[in-house]
Amino acid sequence: MSATIDINSVTKAYGALTVLDDISLSIEAGEFVVFLGPSGCGKSTLLRMIAGLESVDKGTIHIGGERIDTLPPGKRGVAMVFQTYALYPHMTVAQNMAFGLENLKVDKAEIDSRVQSAAETLEMAHLLDRRPTKLSGGQRQRVAIGRAIVKEPKAFLFDEPLSNLDAALRSRTRLELAQLHQRLGSTMIFVTHDQVEAMTLAHRIVVMHDKKIEQIGTPMEIYQRPATRFVAEFVGSPAMSMMPITGIVSAQSSDQKGATLEVEGAGMVATQVPLPASFALDGATMGVRSEDTHVVQPGADGLNLTVTVVERLGERTLLYGKLDTGFEMIVEDSGRSTVRAGETVKFDFDRSALHVFDGTGRAYHMAEEA
Amino acid sequence: MAVLSKKNRSFSPDKLTSNRALFWIAAVFAIVMIAPALWVLGLSFKDNTLLMRGSEAVFSAPYTLKNYTDLFHSSLVFRWFLNSMVVAVGQTVGVLTLSSLAGYAFARLEFPFRKTIFVIVLFGLAVPEQAVIIARHQMFSWLNMHNSYLGLMLPGMSSAFGVFLMTQFFRAIPKEIDEAALLDNTPRFRIFWKVLLPLTMPAQATLGIFTFLLAWNDYWWPLISATKKDMYTLTIGIASSQRNFAQTEGLGFLAAQAVFASLPVIIVYIFFQRNIVTAVSGGAVK
Repeated sequence: MSATIDINSVTKAYGALTVLDDISLSIEAGEFVVFLGPSGCGKSTLLRMIAGLESVDKGTIHIGGERIDTLPPGKRGVAMVFQTYALYPHMTVAQNMAFGLENLKVDKAEIDSRVQSAAETLEMAHLLDRRPTKLSGGQRQRVAIGRAIVKEPKAFLFDEPLSNLDAALRSRTRLELAQLHQRLGSTMIFVTHDQVEAMTLAHRIVVMHDKKIEQIGTPMEIYQRPATRFVAEFVGSPAMSMMPITGIVSAQSSDQKGATLEVEGAGMVATQVPLPASFALDGATMGVRSEDTHVVQPGADGLNLTVTVVERLGERTLLYGKLDTGFEMIVEDSGRSTVRAGETVKFDFDRSALHVFDGTGRAYHMAEEA
Repeated sequence: MAVLSKKNRSFSPDKLTSNRALFWIAAVFAIVMIAPALWVLGLSFKDNTLLMRGSEAVFSAPYTLKNYTDLFHSSLVFRWFLNSMVVAVGQTVGVLTLSSLAGYAFARLEFPFRKTIFVIVLFGLAVPEQAVIIARHQMFSWLNMHNSYLGLMLPGMSSAFGVFLMTQFFRAIPKEIDEAALLDNTPRFRIFWKVLLPLTMPAQATLGIFTFLLAWNDYWWPLISATKKDMYTLTIGIASSQRNFAQTEGLGFLAAQAVFASLPVIIVYIFFQRNIVTAVSGGAVK
């Protein structure tokens, strides 16, 4: 079972403190949507409002066309997996999974069948008689998911469910969640501050910041064409490097593709990003991702980078350093790089992959190819 | 290697000396504590007339079971035992029920003046029983509740400590558990009864044991409320058996009653030893 979720102009405040301001969002049936943002951006609050664990001050929420923001949590047809799993410690795994169905007065045989089926789906049939305290973190996570599955909800809500797992288990569970979604085809909302989880799991990512939605898009849209400087800096590891724009030489370059900019530390840069006449120059920046940079031979054209930290990641090497003007920059080199901290290297960047942000943080990108 | 170093650590001369010192200090305290109890136990097996000459007769034969047979035949001690049991069990059930409900309400429910009411309840911890005893006596007298089980039980059922303990325990349970239950379509009382209350069992055990012991040993309120002999609790009944100030008569019989009165407390201690140790160590011992 899956259903659409429509959030219309939802606002939430705790006293004078507004935590969500006029949020609107539509989620398709069967879609996997990730709410991504830093701590305190309101993503968990929004999820809890959908679940009914927080009240809605203004606006409405509909699931499958039915208004649910006035209903108690148990009547909304959603199931939630908590960061702390929130299993009932005194009940066995089977009892944990059956408890919600018992409250709904589901027939005993039907409960047993659903519990058994979910346990087999999650490969934990052998754990049904154990108590949560006798399970590992990963197993508890499965039970929490199983408890959600047996309810056959209209939508699954995940509140940072992988945060308490170690790196290896997190990666494996992430994959299993993606497979589970494929198998169930249910609507799923997943809250995280981990961009890797967001990029790998989501059909669409909702990037949230400072009470508002910054951008909604597919993972690659978010990564390649961030709507704002915040999204550009938040999504992607390492973060996008920013260089201040001091002037616009021409809004359109000679080949009519984009603007030529005067960039502090990089001189004149011909981009493929067309800019409007209303472009707010004050505080404008040019962004470059590390994968769009490369180290060049000494003597070739390029910018100087005094390397302060070298991060060797195996297949590539990240060079953290400073330009001659003092701006921090991250440059990518090959996995076999021999550069050491303290050295100065020359690098260049791909002009076709630049991002331009005006003084308000709004992003401009090269025109999309038809 | 690790085993070796661990071994060395546990046999270090300093540690051994300090362990021995602790042992002897504890032993002295244990002897001081247990000597009167053993003394009473010894007295209970001595003939009353022999003890009239001096209680040091306890150290020499003959010993007798007569005091215990007298207990079965000529005393109201069984009636007092029953009274004590009814009062202690009733009070314990009452304290557990009220403290759990109040603790849940203070920890989880939103209602007007919640914090103020909680402070007022805590204030009860600071008010000594002696300060309210006359007013309480008057009230129970007006309500015609003296010489009744309810009258003996009721004052002890409102336990400020119990409410405080249970509130803190409910607060320590993650709210996500309640939220998961809410999403499981669980009504509020069922969340309390089926989900949260079972999680408070350690606190319930601690509170229950201490309430039972307190109620069993209570002397002050039963002395005021139970004026009829058949409504005495054991503490009052035994005290009333004293025939003169120096207790030169019937000392063995009195000791036998005391031993009999202590049995339930000893049984409670034996069965709940672990909980009591955990409770008095503040949960530090795991």
